[in-house]
Amino acid sequence: MTSIDRRLQEALDGERDPATLPAELREAYARLVGAAQLLSHTPPASVAERVMAEVRRLPAPASAALAFEDGVARRVARWFAQPRAVTLRLRPAWTLAIAAALAAVVFLPLAESVAPGAEEGVAQFVGHFPGARSVEVVGSFNDWRRGALPLSDEHHDGIWHGAVVLPAGQHEYMFVVDGERWVADPLAGRYVDDGFGRENALLIVRPAVGP
Amino acid sequence: MSDRSSDVEVVARVVGGDGEAFGIIIQRYEPGLLRFATRMLGSSDAAADAVAESLVRAYRHLAQCRNPARLRSWLYRITGNRCHSHLARRRTGEVPLEDVPPIADPADTWEVLERGEQVALVERALAALSPEKREAFVLKHVEGMSYEEMAAATGSRIPTLKMRVHRAREALLAALEERV
Repeated sequence: MTSIDRRLQEALDGERDPATLPAELREAYARLVGAAQLLSHTPPASVAERVMAEVRRLPAPASAALAFEDGVARRVARWFAQPRAVTLRLRPAWTLAIAAALAAVVFLPLAESVAPGAEEGVAQFVGHFPGARSVEVVGSFNDWRRGALPLSDEHHDGIWHGAVVLPAGQHEYMFVVDGERWVADPLAGRYVDDGFGRENALLIVRPAVGP
Repeated sequence: MSDRSSDVEVVARVVGGDGEAFGIIIQRYEPGLLRFATRMLGSSDAAADAVAESLVRAYRHLAQCRNPARLRSWLYRITGNRCHSHLARRRTGEVPLEDVPPIADPADTWEVLERGEQVALVERALAALSPEKREAFVLKHVEGMSYEEMAAATGSRIPTLKMRVHRAREALLAALEERV
């Protein structure tokens, strides 16, 4: 197999007007374009009925109601119901008293809400993302919804962390950095194929309280 | 059922519980997916199975579609993965060329017969490519995707895809010239 002229590749990539090609290259161009056209025939068969029969048998895709139908009130309620990392910066001395008062209000209920049940455990998430503006965790446990589990970087050193109570068992998850970059936790140690050519990190939560 | 909605709107409806709206997605993308899978697998039956499995999988995981505006690329990616898995189960990555040349109908014109032969010739040349080059050529020249769309549909980098397309063109052109 010999390489073909760069000008022909450019014309086929739409980067050059084919009319500017020398005659021998125009012939090769026409041959390849013609070959592609011959392959463009669409098979007459349809799998629509077969697929829709299966779709009707299956439940709605995961997270359906949560992602699209929830009212604002339910979202707010859920936001408050979920454990969250709280950052308090105590630089000025005069804020210490206020911070202490806030901590008394915020941390005590939070600590109670974080306490796992018999079939639950606490999952700790830590990621090193220097320069990131935000990092959050999405996973099978929150139906891959954005905004449910933000991490915090209290010391502005690029170490983002957070914790959440999860049902015991296996959970798949990803970090979402700056709202757009999905990253499998490099420290997860276990990964599973997400079925779309990439891998999700795998987390195993063990019950905090034995049976 | 209106089919003028954007993909983002249709995905939202399906994820919101309107399973019938998935029919719009099928209607939009099934022809291209079937064409793509047929060219990848060399068998219309295997392609139909691959596309049906891929569409059901897409439905089940639709909430994980990270960018519904690029639904087309996502569907091609699922179908491409299914085709690669199917090919990997075979001893080689080559397509089987199961299609026996059709028996000539006396009513066929010479042009029809000639076109049939040309199609068979191109299909054989395509089948001789590696699955990766075949995929790149089909996405570029049969499905008309940009390299950016191809990158989203395959997970490969654009320079890699360009190289595969270039190599596929060279191999196809050489094969076609040999047989002329």
